[in-house]
Amino acid sequence: MGTRKLVAAILAFSLALGGSEARAQGTREVTGKVTQVGGMPLSEASVTVLGQPIGARTNEAGEYRLRVPAGEVTLLVRAIGYKRSSVKVGASAATQDFALEKDVLQLEGVTVTGAATTIDRRNATTAVASVNTDELNRVPGRSIENQLSGKVLGARIFENNGAPGGGAQIQIRGATSILGQGDPLYVIDGVIVSNASIPNAANSISRASGTAISSGQDNAVNRLADINPSDIESVEVLKSAAASAIYGSRATNGVVVITTKRGRSGAPSWNITQRVGTAALFRKIGFREWGTISDLVPANDPLTTANESIEWVGNAAAIPIAQALCNPNCTNYDYEQQLFGRTDPTYETLLSTRGGAGNTKYFASVSDKQEAGIMLRTGARRTSGRINIDQTIGSNLTVSGGLGVTRNFNQRGITNNNNAGISPTYDLGYIPHVIDFRRKADGSWPVNPFYAGGSSVSNPIANTEYIKNSEEVWRQTGNIRIAYQAFSNAQHNVNVSYAAGLDRFHQDGIGFSPPFLQFEPNDTFSGTSSVSTSQNFQMNQGVNVVWTWTPTIPWINSMTTSFGGTAEDQVQKTYRTMGRGLLPTVGLSSGAAETSVNDGRTAFKDQSLYINEQALFLNEALSVAVGVRMDRSSANGDREQYYTFPKYSAAYRFEKPWWASEYTDEIKLRASWGQSGNRPRWADRDVLFANGGIIDGRGSLVSAGTLGNPSIKPETMSETDVGIDASFFGQRMNFELTRYERVITGLLLTFPLPPSSGLTQQIVNGGQLSVKGWEFGITGIPYQSGEFTWTSRMNYTSNRQNVDNLLVDGQIVPNFAVPGSFGSTYGRNRIASGLRSTLIWANAPLGVGGAVRDTIVGDANPYHQTQFVNDFTFGRWNVSTLLDWRNGGLVSNMTNNLWDEGGNSRDFDEPMPGTNTTKGLHRYYDRFSAGDSRVYIQSGTYLKLREVTVSYSAPAAFTAKYLRGAKDLRLSLSGRNLWVKTDYWSYDPEFNNFGNTNFNRFIDLAPFPTSRQFFFSVDVGY
Amino acid sequence: MKKGLILGLAGATLLVAACSADPLSIPNLNSPTVAGASGDAAALQLQATGVLRQLRGGLGGYITVTARFGREGYIYTPNEGRNTSHFLIGLSGANKLDPAGFAVGVWGGNYGNLRDLFNLKNVITGSTTLTAAQKSAGMGFARTIEALELLYVISTRDSLGAVTQINQNASELAPFVSRDSVYRYIIGTLNAADADLVAGGAAFPFTIQQGFAGFTTPATFRQFNRAIAARAAVYHATRGAGAPAWAQAQTAIAASFLNRTAANAAAMNVGLYHVYSTATGDALNGVGQNADFLAHPLHDNQMEVGDLRGSKDSILTVARNAPQGLGIATDLAIARYATNTSPVPVIRNEELLLLDAEIRWNTGDKAGAVANLNVVRAVSGGLPASTVTAASTDTQFVDELLRQRRYSLFVEGHRWVDHRRYGRLAALPLDLPTGTNAHFVARVMPLPQAECLVRARANDPLLAGPGC
Repeated sequence: MGTRKLVAAILAFSLALGGSEARAQGTREVTGKVTQVGGMPLSEASVTVLGQPIGARTNEAGEYRLRVPAGEVTLLVRAIGYKRSSVKVGASAATQDFALEKDVLQLEGVTVTGAATTIDRRNATTAVASVNTDELNRVPGRSIENQLSGKVLGARIFENNGAPGGGAQIQIRGATSILGQGDPLYVIDGVIVSNASIPNAANSISRASGTAISSGQDNAVNRLADINPSDIESVEVLKSAAASAIYGSRATNGVVVITTKRGRSGAPSWNITQRVGTAALFRKIGFREWGTISDLVPANDPLTTANESIEWVGNAAAIPIAQALCNPNCTNYDYEQQLFGRTDPTYETLLSTRGGAGNTKYFASVSDKQEAGIMLRTGARRTSGRINIDQTIGSNLTVSGGLGVTRNFNQRGITNNNNAGISPTYDLGYIPHVIDFRRKADGSWPVNPFYAGGSSVSNPIANTEYIKNSEEVWRQTGNIRIAYQAFSNAQHNVNVSYAAGLDRFHQDGIGFSPPFLQFEPNDTFSGTSSVSTSQNFQMNQGVNVVWTWTPTIPWINSMTTSFGGTAEDQVQKTYRTMGRGLLPTVGLSSGAAETSVNDGRTAFKDQSLYINEQALFLNEALSVAVGVRMDRSSANGDREQYYTFPKYSAAYRFEKPWWASEYTDEIKLRASWGQSGNRPRWADRDVLFANGGIIDGRGSLVSAGTLGNPSIKPETMSETDVGIDASFFGQRMNFELTRYERVITGLLLTFPLPPSSGLTQQIVNGGQLSVKGWEFGITGIPYQSGEFTWTSRMNYTSNRQNVDNLLVDGQIVPNFAVPGSFGSTYGRNRIASGLRSTLIWANAPLGVGGAVRDTIVGDANPYHQTQFVNDFTFGRWNVSTLLDWRNGGLVSNMTNNLWDEGGNSRDFDEPMPGTNTTKGLHRYYDRFSAGDSRVYIQSGTYLKLREVTVSYSAPAAFTAKYLRGAKDLRLSLSGRNLWVKTDYWSYDPEFNNFGNTNFNRFIDLAPFPTSRQFFFSVDVGY
Repeated sequence: MKKGLILGLAGATLLVAACSADPLSIPNLNSPTVAGASGDAAALQLQATGVLRQLRGGLGGYITVTARFGREGYIYTPNEGRNTSHFLIGLSGANKLDPAGFAVGVWGGNYGNLRDLFNLKNVITGSTTLTAAQKSAGMGFARTIEALELLYVISTRDSLGAVTQINQNASELAPFVSRDSVYRYIIGTLNAADADLVAGGAAFPFTIQQGFAGFTTPATFRQFNRAIAARAAVYHATRGAGAPAWAQAQTAIAASFLNRTAANAAAMNVGLYHVYSTATGDALNGVGQNADFLAHPLHDNQMEVGDLRGSKDSILTVARNAPQGLGIATDLAIARYATNTSPVPVIRNEELLLLDAEIRWNTGDKAGAVANLNVVRAVSGGLPASTVTAASTDTQFVDELLRQRRYSLFVEGHRWVDHRRYGRLAALPLDLPTGTNAHFVARVMPLPQAECLVRARANDPLLAGPGC
């Protein structure tokens, strides 16, 4: 039992330390005040004696009082958002004041290195990406991912579509798994929180994936949407395996560590923010103008299809109706405007307070946000509350805790793929825009006489008015941390802590389509009602022991040893019902002609042990970290087996290097190697029977086609990460360059079995993926004069994702299309040995007029993604912009395909250069129908102005005069998605019909359109 | 004090990580595990039902597949021409079916059931609660179904041979064996099952579905076993085994439920059937009320005048064109199965009468053979006695035998197999004999490509399948 011996050895060691006694020393007191340069006092600044575990925090007035050893000492002062300052204090001095500069380039701060350890960012041995509260909350977004978008170097953040309330994906350094988990691990104040995307019951109505109750095309909200971004103090993204190895077998996709705001000592301060805003359709896809009946029913049809005489009305019975509508000229209706033209107001109210008295500090907030969707009958409302408390008991014990409650309600409508004729963007592509679908004066709805995509026809406005697809989530999170300083003297400090976190939510989804809608009888049942209810519970807890040794040896500054263990539990229970063929006026499945039920449960238990060592040498120039984490999980075939994830990393800082130019402040070289894992999915380890169905009224069991694997184990990622960080011109310019190479082995794959074995495939570990990439960031203050400061930042990310091999025990898994994709007609990623995993495979002829093959037509991965953040401050005014540039990366534009097939594309009638036909006919009939799908695999390049904000801080005199008791007042006007430059035909190239997916996230299929959002905010602080 | 605290808290680390014996065990409540079900009393019944469910699932496919090859009918799906072209044309101009196409059925599903039978046999032999007689009865049941599944497979693959062995480790390839070996294995398995059933006591340890009524005890199920053994031996005899197989067939059929004096349709229809229903989780037969399943126009045209089986088998309907350019129009709907829940026979007395005729002709009782044919003609067809007599030539007898089998066993999965047995595939009609879409009559069905790919990777000639 190697693990136990290891722990025992560590225990023995810490006991030996505990044996030494604190030595009495001669001390004196130093007092002083900490302010920002030329301004306000800073509370909560930390004042420490350099090289010694002695420190204090400033009070509300910025004052501190510190007992220091006799003789000369160096005092170091740090405060969040300010540059550090250190001063030598003479043996006789009793006071020392500090004035700190603002840290606009974010060189300061700490980064997470373990469950209970951090390190100063400048000593960090791996690349760090962090976003603070100001940066995060500059422009409100529908969920935290929106607000992070463009701000995290190395992460690609996508919106899945434009529906209110969320639905977005963060992918850090490429996809690292094919079948396994693809989302990063999210940790909020030590609680591992769920980011599950649980589809509700939209599929029961849309029938996008057959008659199942729900499907991956349901436009699910990922549960990060429940977080109130205003509660967040900072977000830190652990990217490399050496950084994320502390989270073991759930960390290959990176870890996002979120810290919420906490109390500060002093009288309570209050902050109230009121926002009001609006949203509008960002970009229209437009429609073809219909002139006369001969446009709708061409006498001399250019097409040679069998139904030529009924193009574009779809059926012979509709011809006289079309003739009546176009007599002599057609009236065109802008359905897109009618359905997506809503600009109702959005409101958000935030109230928070923080303070502290004696040994207690607290932060509390409540918020309410009501977002109106641009589509009829859509919207989202999130209401949340949070309390964080830090309590010191005696001199050695600290208890911290937090509680959060959220209600998140969404009405998303039904968008994306469908086979029922109800997804608006889908169906508008097939309806000539010549009929007025608005409700008639007598209260009835016009009937749609036109063919829509081959399946059903209906009135899109009536559908949107009546079909319900809503979800309500109640979520509770809680955390507690008990820290005990077990031992402390001049050289040694031992802290023991216990931390536990809890995250549970109940998601209640409702789908309803009333029996009277025109499309309803098409599935042989009129009316559909469905319910999807999910209970999600997660708990994690851990014990940590941290021993910091600050020796008097000159070349060793500190050594921090930490060890501990964690235990995690997760359970998700989902219960769904569907009723079709409803009784009149009944909105539930009861009494339905046909009902179906689906009940599922997944659960995981994980445990880990870890030991880390981090050390600073040579006047903090050399930083070294090594560690190992051992994990076991109920998901593994052998659940007793611990899998180890080691890490090694080091960084060396050259301060004012003699060999570099005089403008160089510091150059840091860093390198790391580490491993992290991705545990198997639920039930991969189980060899199962399948339900064989009924014969003669009796149930049966048959073998499941997919054979589980009782020896399945986690996927393992090994990553090398090297980089240079440098700062120049008196820290006015900062530069960061990282090269990473990650290799993922033992992938979860399905290996095809011979059909004569009676089974289809087996889950196995095998194959290898790799991701190699560059991250480059440059931050600087290009201009500063008087009250004017211009701060600028550029982030550049590019990577190349490859399938190195698909070997399993010496045999090759044949190429396969990733799960959750359509056929070769529409383009998809295929996993093929030796090729890039992001390549899009689709139908294309081999040469001109050659045979059609499923072949490589391009790459979904952009050449690079680059963001530019510019921030201008002039006195009380601030203007900030975020520009996002994606260069390359192809998208499967199925929306364009639908609109061309239905003859409704805005450019349908434009002449196609080099041919004697029109663009629409050329794309759909000459190219696509002839087996060339490339015409709809289009470039996703864009330049998008994601965020702009203009804010003004009112002078104190004004605030005092007009807002009694208020300390500060800030007004801001901000906008999101204000402008885009792209040749892309449809709404937005970052959308994906399948939501959060590891691969294949480039399917644009009738999404909820993007919205342009505006907000006016008033922040008042008391 | 502090020591104790550190020790205690650090010790908690250990406790969290490794407290109870198997703290990470989480049962799967969504699906039964094979290991969990094997110890469950209800599992034996569920598995036995599963075997019959799988057998039923395979038969619908077997009938529609062999009906197309044997030109009994077509599947004319308006939006999917491959349901026609992949069976009647195959790879254009190559007189070969496409291993990656549609006509590769009667393989994976049948072997899926062989895997289930493998599991069922393990459960029976490993059971500690079943008596010796119950075990014997269970094994007799399992082996009979196993042989029947393999008989379907070899009837479609014929000269290619097949795989007869299921390995515990599914990724371990089982060898391909010749047609002759497959037939020997089938007959051997049936004989072993027969012995099991004889020792099987009064009842099976599970309930058998009501479509098998009359054959649900070991003693009566044995009659079914012998009927299948007769069919297998006759097939074997006509595929090269000759006299010894005819002798086996003669012995087998004598112990079957053959009734040579059947005087009405009910007596002809005595046998075992798959049953269907519209209940949730149950299945439809796929061959009744199937608007896309149409009879070949020659079915009526080549019938003897006055044959009562004409109106039973097919009815005139609106003429339906073949998918564009793929064949000819037909106006005959198949009425053999009245509804989509009509039972579909596994084997019935009418087939036994015809098998018995074939056996008698080849074992010296030619008069008895002719008598059997005439019983079928009279009872099922309302026709006078045949012109074939004991003095007729073998060819004349086979002509008449195949005609009676064609009309009496219409869409029960026989005509293509029968024509191949007697080397008469060339006698089947080709709707489009020339041109790029020329039809041909497939001799065998190819192995599915998935099987070929896995076997090709093995790099072992003994494991490589034929036709890959």
